[in-house]
Amino acid sequence: MVGLPYDCLANPLGAVRLTFEKAVSSGLNPSSSDGSDWGALDLFNQFLFGDDGLLSVKYLQPNTLVRFRGMIQDMLGNEFYVGAYKDGSNWRTNKYSDISQCEVELSPDMRLWERRLLYCVPVPGLNSWAEPSESLSNQQKTMASHQREKRPRDGDEVADHMEMESNEDCQDSPITKKMKEEGHPSSSSMQHDIVNDKTALSFQPPNSEMNSFPCLVKVYDSPESDLKLNEIFEFIGVLSHDSEIAVNKDESDMLSNSFYEDNLVQLPPSKVPRIHCLVHKKLVVGDFVDRSPMTNPNPSLIRGIRDGLLSHLTAVLGNDGVAAQYLLLHLLSKVHARVDGVAVGKLSLNFTNFNKEAASVFGTPLTLTMKDLLPFTQHMPLTIEYLNSTTLAPKKDYQANKLVSGALQLAEGSHLTIDETQLQAGTLNSTGVENARSLKHLIEFQQVEYDFQYYKMEMASDVQLLVLSEGKSNILPADLVLPFQPSSTGSSNVVDEAMIQPWRWFLATQRSLSHSISPEMQKVVEEDLVAARQADRSLGSQDFSRLLTMSRLMSLSFGETSLSMEHWQMVKELERLRKERLR
Amino acid sequence: MQSMNTNDVDYEHDRALARDFLVNFADIHGEAKYMNLLQDVANRKTRALQIELEDLFNYKDSDDEFVRKVTENTKRYIAIFGEAIDELMPEPTEPFLDDDHDILMTQRSQEGNENADGSDPSQRMPAEIKRFYEVYIQASSKDRPFTIREVKASYIGQLVRISGIVTRCSDVKPLMQVAVYTCEDCGFEIYQEVTARIFMPLFECPSRRCKTNNTKGNLILQLRASKFMKFQEAKIQELAEHVPKGHIPRSMTVHLRGELTRKVAPGDVVELSGIFLPIPYVGFRAMRAGLVADTYLEAMSVTHFKRKYEEYELRSEEEEHIGRLSEDGDIYNKLAQSLAPEIFGHEDVKKALLLLLVGAPHRKLKDGMQIRGDVHICLMGDPGVAKSQLLKHIINVAPRGVYTTGRGSSGVGLTAAVQKDPVTNEMVLEGGALVLADMGICAIDEFDKMEESDRTAIHEVMEQQTVSIAKAGITTSLNARTAVLAAANPAWGRYDLRRTPAENINLPPALLSRFDLLWLILDKADMDIDLELARHVVYVHQNKESPALGFTPLEPSVLRAYIASARKVCPSVPRELEEYIASAYSSIRQEEARSDTPHSYTTIRTLLSILRLSAALARLRFSSTVAQSDVDEALRLMQMSKFSLYSDDRQKSGLDAISDIYSILRDEAARTNRMDISYAHALNWISRKGYSEAQLKECLEEYAALNVWQIHPNSFDIRFIDA
Repeated sequence: MVGLPYDCLANPLGAVRLTFEKAVSSGLNPSSSDGSDWGALDLFNQFLFGDDGLLSVKYLQPNTLVRFRGMIQDMLGNEFYVGAYKDGSNWRTNKYSDISQCEVELSPDMRLWERRLLYCVPVPGLNSWAEPSESLSNQQKTMASHQREKRPRDGDEVADHMEMESNEDCQDSPITKKMKEEGHPSSSSMQHDIVNDKTALSFQPPNSEMNSFPCLVKVYDSPESDLKLNEIFEFIGVLSHDSEIAVNKDESDMLSNSFYEDNLVQLPPSKVPRIHCLVHKKLVVGDFVDRSPMTNPNPSLIRGIRDGLLSHLTAVLGNDGVAAQYLLLHLLSKVHARVDGVAVGKLSLNFTNFNKEAASVFGTPLTLTMKDLLPFTQHMPLTIEYLNSTTLAPKKDYQANKLVSGALQLAEGSHLTIDETQLQAGTLNSTGVENARSLKHLIEFQQVEYDFQYYKMEMASDVQLLVLSEGKSNILPADLVLPFQPSSTGSSNVVDEAMIQPWRWFLATQRSLSHSISPEMQKVVEEDLVAARQADRSLGSQDFSRLLTMSRLMSLSFGETSLSMEHWQMVKELERLRKERLR
Repeated sequence: MQSMNTNDVDYEHDRALARDFLVNFADIHGEAKYMNLLQDVANRKTRALQIELEDLFNYKDSDDEFVRKVTENTKRYIAIFGEAIDELMPEPTEPFLDDDHDILMTQRSQEGNENADGSDPSQRMPAEIKRFYEVYIQASSKDRPFTIREVKASYIGQLVRISGIVTRCSDVKPLMQVAVYTCEDCGFEIYQEVTARIFMPLFECPSRRCKTNNTKGNLILQLRASKFMKFQEAKIQELAEHVPKGHIPRSMTVHLRGELTRKVAPGDVVELSGIFLPIPYVGFRAMRAGLVADTYLEAMSVTHFKRKYEEYELRSEEEEHIGRLSEDGDIYNKLAQSLAPEIFGHEDVKKALLLLLVGAPHRKLKDGMQIRGDVHICLMGDPGVAKSQLLKHIINVAPRGVYTTGRGSSGVGLTAAVQKDPVTNEMVLEGGALVLADMGICAIDEFDKMEESDRTAIHEVMEQQTVSIAKAGITTSLNARTAVLAAANPAWGRYDLRRTPAENINLPPALLSRFDLLWLILDKADMDIDLELARHVVYVHQNKESPALGFTPLEPSVLRAYIASARKVCPSVPRELEEYIASAYSSIRQEEARSDTPHSYTTIRTLLSILRLSAALARLRFSSTVAQSDVDEALRLMQMSKFSLYSDDRQKSGLDAISDIYSILRDEAARTNRMDISYAHALNWISRKGYSEAQLKECLEEYAALNVWQIHPNSFDIRFIDA
């Protein structure tokens, strides 16, 4: 790639247009094309992941290449745009941009192509340590420019990049200022912003701390099944910012009575930047932790990390070793399959005996520990008022044509602590009943019913649920109920960052290891299960399933991918201890 | 690129084609369908002129090319058809009252002669203003309608058919079609055709006289003379079942004009045919429109979608598939196995549930009495025996099914309630689950925990199939023609074997007798079943999928299609079977009379149940008459259901199983006066008495050794040796 006429980073659209013109001149006929890629992506892939794409730009400004991390919160459907048109006798393209190079005139040579609009929000419950970099200004937290070369298909590349992105220059970049200005309306856009404030209110991201902003991502070419709701993605694309469009609104006022309020009116570009996505990559929990120290994990190292983590958890839980063991398994759990409506692999945990005193002593340290260990955590104090007033399940608002997020719209792999200790006796209204039902549904099936008013749709979720309650929670029937028996007040030992790093890595990566049971072991397990059922008729398939999930997690916690007799015995012993406490 | 000239010629040609089609198209009765319609239009009986694409397709003289052009450039061809209709419009044959519009038109045409200012285009009356009809082109209903997701950019301008649910509806508003002005100076009427939603009114008179005089005549908009059209906007959204996993339903704007307005309300599931169009922008938006375009569907027809068996239309490949299936002798078992295939065992329960889905035809007697055809089933059993799963699965298979619990969370409950509308403060009648499931299946979980008020009402629902309500000044009776599938837990949570079944079942006999079949599913301590369960769970955890079933279950869609076509059959009981059924019934009655502790209340309802089940079985074979095998199977199912309740009694009776089987077979042979019994028959009889196939085989061997009968080595048919 010698002598690129356009800089892919500073002028990506130029590059797009150039490749388009090249493609047209070499035989692409836009009038018959449906807008699928003509080679621009190759160029960008080459540039981003190729060998000489050194990125040297310092400013985050419109029409440059940017990176955005977020969870897909809503899908706004398709947008039809003039993909190709004739300027004189030359074909031009508008792909990857909101504004056209030159005036487009209505003509039969205009080609309508489509792109998908995704409304992305910062990952709900994202803990500060998992954010790209602390040094960036608020607004730059999730969006940062590239400044380092990438190697193709390097598994560690994203993690590497996260560290490298301390881009101080961004802080005084023009767009930062511009965005800030528009956030606090200046004279020119004052009226506009006031009008929009109302609608913007109904559009709070799931995490209402507004330290980072949502983004409208326009996706081209990729198959629909690639991008799903509630998945976390990293998008690399062209940032488009057009203040002209933002300011002018009178025209749409004329139509305010109709259904033509297009989505963009609800989402002023001053609040919601647009990104025309070139490349996207799905992120999982493992992408949010620093995996650099763990270049070569060996069993003894993993065992060491496990022991360290376990003793830390034990300390946090007031020397309750059994509870710590269960908590460890719980933190490693993940829905890894759905068979006949059963979410296989979920392991929700209910600590009982959490009375007022215990909650005050252990509740906060526990929550903080979760925050330190996992990239996305949420804490939900359950009270009558809370249940009666919030909307937990997302709901479609047809007036605004938006999916209004609820507290249960969580990214895959989130951890949710539900604190039932503050729950008092009281009356639930219909919202409260509905919310309680949603919670129960989530804990039983790992599914949330999204309310589309005319029908409900089940959305699969994968959330680790930890319930703290005084007695056994009936609202939230967890897989495991364990009476909490601390023997000392929780130690508030502060663990330093260097200790935590490997634990985070451990929890994020071990859970997605594959696991199998050898035929011999399978026989043992089956026989044990049958014997257990012969002894206790109340055991059902759920209990069997739980035992198997625990044995799987137990093996994984030792970094092993096949169940051994030792671990199976450990699981049975743990269960025996738990049963004893329940008695 | 075609020049404008050839385009014109093309359209001229197509107009002739359209005209020819309208004049000459004859429907299956040989009537000139469209000319008749035009006459109705001329007589002002109707305004909508629906041209069906299918007719165009079937029309002898039309070529595929023409149909294709109509589909792909529908808007243009509506105009062409409009022109053709203007030419063809017959004189009215019936007198009708002139309304204002007509008087205005007469005046105009008279005036038109006076100041025939020639070719001034703004003064020429647009054809639109004279029309009192609306042309619609309706898409072919042959193929599956699109989902909103499938309508891509390439469909712009084309006629498409989509299905969806209406989520929002605007008020019906007038939309200007032709704006009429009068000029203050020259006095001429000036016409302006409006095609978009927004138009720029004229201010200066464009007529030749004003132009030449340079008077800039002031124009006044004449609202009464202008032509308006009813206009309504709606939003439709994808149906839940069309949304891929992990996606949000898409929506689309729909424009409804003229006669199509006020046809939909939010919540309606509709099928629309219409033209997929981009919105023409004006003003500032036009600048932006250079880049993004909103789209909408200009509705051409609206059909309300009803998900009932009766309206289930089969596609040709489905029909073939079902044809093949019905040839299969084992279809009864296959269908039953395909119900909730992930639930292990329970073959007879599944068979019963299959019959519930199929149902029997409703009978209406001459004296107005109705006999229900819906089969009611109650599943009773220990917690955790997959009752709820079975219920939910049945609801999934049924095209119209409502799942609820006895303690439904809504205040409406199961039957119906009078509620105060929060907006209008009017009392409104709101149907409960049973009313919503009219013509479908209502699955009620936790039947035993039902509200007392619902429990009394359910008696009526189950036999009369109506819900009567007399509350707050509203007295009415709502239809609830639904098959009830209930699941209940035993009285003390778990089934207590030490108590009698009647004590365990916590439901009044009056209610119980309304169920055609009552099934007890017990969680028995059985090593094999436990091992099966353990294996299953281990397999699921290992392989992340359910273990193979040893057979391929039929897809729910195939199942639904098969049941839908089976439900179209209306079998009758042949005369020669009447005797057989009657004797079977009386023998059950006598058996009951002999026993000192009758288990069941065999009443005339039981007889009706037998008939219903037999009819349902005949439907499954697509047979118009009930065969004896159907009755046998119905009796067997009833017997099995009874044995599931009273299985322990069997052991108490003095006879051991083997000799009991022998006596059954002996009796049957004596009754039919035959010396040989086929194995299948024997199996049928003994299983009706609650014995297993293994026991039968044992019996056959034992008595063959005693030289009582001979057994055919291959078919196991029995031949008694005459003593």
